Amino acid sequence: MHADPRYGAEVLRRFHELPGAGDATGDAGVINARADAADDGARVVLSLRIERGVVVEARFRAYGCPYFIAAASWLTDRLGGATRREVAEWDWREAAEALEIPPARFGRLITLQDAVRAAAAAWPGTAATAV
Amino acid sequence: MMDTIYLDNAATTPVDPRVVEEMLACMGSGADFANASSVSHEPGRRASARIEAARSAVAVLVGAAPEQIVWTSGATEANNLAIFGAARFHRSKGTHIVTSRTEHPSVLDPCRRLEREGFEVSYLHPGPDGIVEPPQVEAALRQDTILVSLMHVNNETGVIQDVREVGRMCRAREVLLHVDAAQSAGKLDLDVLGDRIDLLALTAHKLNGPKGVGALCVRREPRLGLVPLMYGGGQERGLRSGTLPTHQIAGFGAACRIAAAEMTEEGARVTHLRERLWSALATLPGIWLNGSEHRRAPGILNVSIEDVEGESLLLALSDLALSSGSACATLRGEPSYVLRALGRSEQLAQGSLRISLGRYTSADDIERAAMRIRAEVERLRAIAPPLAAAAG
Repeated sequence: MHADPRYGAEVLRRFHELPGAGDATGDAGVINARADAADDGARVVLSLRIERGVVVEARFRAYGCPYFIAAASWLTDRLGGATRREVAEWDWREAAEALEIPPARFGRLITLQDAVRAAAAAWPGTAATAV
Repeated sequence: MMDTIYLDNAATTPVDPRVVEEMLACMGSGADFANASSVSHEPGRRASARIEAARSAVAVLVGAAPEQIVWTSGATEANNLAIFGAARFHRSKGTHIVTSRTEHPSVLDPCRRLEREGFEVSYLHPGPDGIVEPPQVEAALRQDTILVSLMHVNNETGVIQDVREVGRMCRAREVLLHVDAAQSAGKLDLDVLGDRIDLLALTAHKLNGPKGVGALCVRREPRLGLVPLMYGGGQERGLRSGTLPTHQIAGFGAACRIAAAEMTEEGARVTHLRERLWSALATLPGIWLNGSEHRRAPGILNVSIEDVEGESLLLALSDLALSSGSACATLRGEPSYVLRALGRSEQLAQGSLRISLGRYTSADDIERAAMRIRAEVERLRAIAPPLAAAAG
């Protein structure tokens, strides 16, 4: 791996190592939430396994620029242990700040937020879930 | 950390050590450093002799006479001088120019500028193979056409245009032909006299010479008028004022001598390596060769890869120095207009790689590069969600 000054260290680490990539294990309690950028330049699937109202496993699949892939990876850490309300209220600016993503790339993070919102909407047993 | 494998020779090449030696002989107090215009003293005459020897070497490489060579700072200046110079000088004969949509920006931008000065420019569409067919050029010629500008080898795809046939038809219609040969000089045979090329733009740094020097080869028989871009000391018969950079010009000359001597053997070697690389990549699902498979310069391979985002692929391949048509990799921030002109989708233009081989590219470099590209494409595809249509 060669350093590239255009990207921060955490973006590079996540892009090259891809922590959190893949699908959540098992079928029970697993939701897959997808979002596609309007210009086809990015797409993401969040795969969340939910038990007793919280995310116990979060994984991602992503196509897009390095910032987008790194942000999807970061998000899987961020969503671990989250309730439905916390998922629903997640804001893309948190990833932008954590990964020092340049403003020109913020548009891609909206796609990530769309996927998170889709996950909240697909939350299993919503009525019975403590949020 | 592994050494970076340099596969961006269409962008620039390392200077050949033999060229460096020639340049060093023109620098420093004991060398031929003097102003070549100062022919009243011996050091000046020695520098002038270096310049004229280089002029002959450049001329030999392109089948021209030495007096046809006008030194410039590179191909960009040579293209600007050719297009602005010819259009403005010959304006009384007509104001129509023909070029193609896949030319280098140093041709397209002057053409757009001339449109603001009242010229009309026809931008020809290449076929999906990147080739502008001579009949297309012929069909675009009008009574008021004064200039056709067509590159010999495309800098992104490596596709070769049939400038000989275009030269024949332009000469028959008394239309000037300008050819940007930045990517072909020293790699392919050039014959400005036989091919009836009126203006030929060259640069040193694409053929293992130094950056910052190039030339415009200008037809002399019959003499072709040009309006200069720069005025000053009247060097280069008034076409390009400015003190001549002796060391760079001497380096350019040496690079041309070496290229002329080694072109046939080196061309075959590099073509073989490029074909090996394509063979190694072609079995990847969803990979497309951009431009004609057969009419291409030895060292340039351009591929588009489905379902891989260009910026991510470039970053993943940071141990390879290569270019991409993705928006992030272009100064203009948009996907390659050349690949879009060939009909490639925005996604395929984004996911393109230009891999350009050169004098110092080895078979081992090619094997490692092919292995790394395949590995990273597979890694990025493995984490990508399926396309929405396929996802059901």
